[in-house]
Amino acid sequence: MIFSPVAVLLLAASAVQASVLTLQSPKFVVTDALGSQLRAEPFSLVHRTGTPVKLEAKDTLKITFQVVDKEDGKGVQPHQTFIRFFDPSTGEEGIQPIRVTGGGKAKFELNPSKPPLYLPPTSTEPLKVSLIIGTPNYDPITVRLFDLILPASQPAPTHPDEASFHVRPELHHTFRPDQKLPPKAVSLFFAGLTFAPWVVLIGLWSQVTPRLTHLFSPSILPFILSLVAFESLLLTYWVKLRLGEVLLYGAGLGLVTIFTGRQALSSISSLRKD
Amino acid sequence: MAQTKQGPASTGSTALGSLWKAYSEQTPDRLKFIDAFLFFLMLSGVIQFAYCVLVTTYPYNAFLSGFASTVGQFVLAASLRSQVNPQNKDEFKEVSPERAFADFALGSIVLHFFVYNFLG
Repeated sequence: MIFSPVAVLLLAASAVQASVLTLQSPKFVVTDALGSQLRAEPFSLVHRTGTPVKLEAKDTLKITFQVVDKEDGKGVQPHQTFIRFFDPSTGEEGIQPIRVTGGGKAKFELNPSKPPLYLPPTSTEPLKVSLIIGTPNYDPITVRLFDLILPASQPAPTHPDEASFHVRPELHHTFRPDQKLPPKAVSLFFAGLTFAPWVVLIGLWSQVTPRLTHLFSPSILPFILSLVAFESLLLTYWVKLRLGEVLLYGAGLGLVTIFTGRQALSSISSLRKD
Repeated sequence: MAQTKQGPASTGSTALGSLWKAYSEQTPDRLKFIDAFLFFLMLSGVIQFAYCVLVTTYPYNAFLSGFASTVGQFVLAASLRSQVNPQNKDEFKEVSPERAFADFALGSIVLHFFVYNFLG
């Protein structure tokens, strides 16, 4: 058989008359705060209302229609009836389900002073309002009705963590400027001044030199030499050695100095006691 | 008749003059040797500090190590002098002059080591 059972069912379904819904007496009314009508027009499923509907802060928009079967004009209560407010520039939409009575009568009111929560924040473009009706056994309806201009809303509150998801501004650190050396002349002058006490010292010492009778005797000289060696070790450390090395050499030299020192100083003390 | 005032330069007639006279006559040469060293250290420290106050503290660690070396060496030399002075023998019964000198040498070497470390 060419025709499979599914195709048979489909053919049978399409043979059933596809019913069409339509709206009876659809109209919208814009009234201001005092109740006087600003704009009252019917709207149609077939052609879109040309001029956008403008709502001020205190106005009210009221939409009424009745859903009927096109063939026999009887009221139908569809399963789903929505009015959709869509903002094309931001891509946000708000959906309002409409309560339809058993006879198909529907009524919807929009007051910007008490805005419903689904309305997106306003942008520069008007909202596109469309009607969506769906129910079994009938063709669905998705029709743009008119454009709606609402009063400007406050900007949407930003999440406290919003800033951390964008690139932060670049940090510019300011550092204290480098410290400068004083001019060379000043430095040289004070360097000379700092060495001046040496001259004073040499002068004073030349007057009071104690007698160095025992300096070069064999018991004292090694001690003096090891002291000199220690000082030269420290000078070399300043110039090129590292800490571990100087400690190592210093330990060895210290051992030597201990022995020479004991020898030297004991000989001096024995001399003193004589 | 106006009495001519005698300035401190005239020896022996003012307190400072007699102090200086007593010092130069009665102090042994060795102690004067150490005193000269002490005076030199004091001058050196004062000049370094004056430079730091007047001009700049820029290599601050250099100033600190230089100043600390003069101060530390002054302390060591002063303690050596007081321990070696024969007139203080009763104060320092258990410290012989040789021991004092050994202490001085050891302390000086350790001080120099730390100063060189910090000098940079």
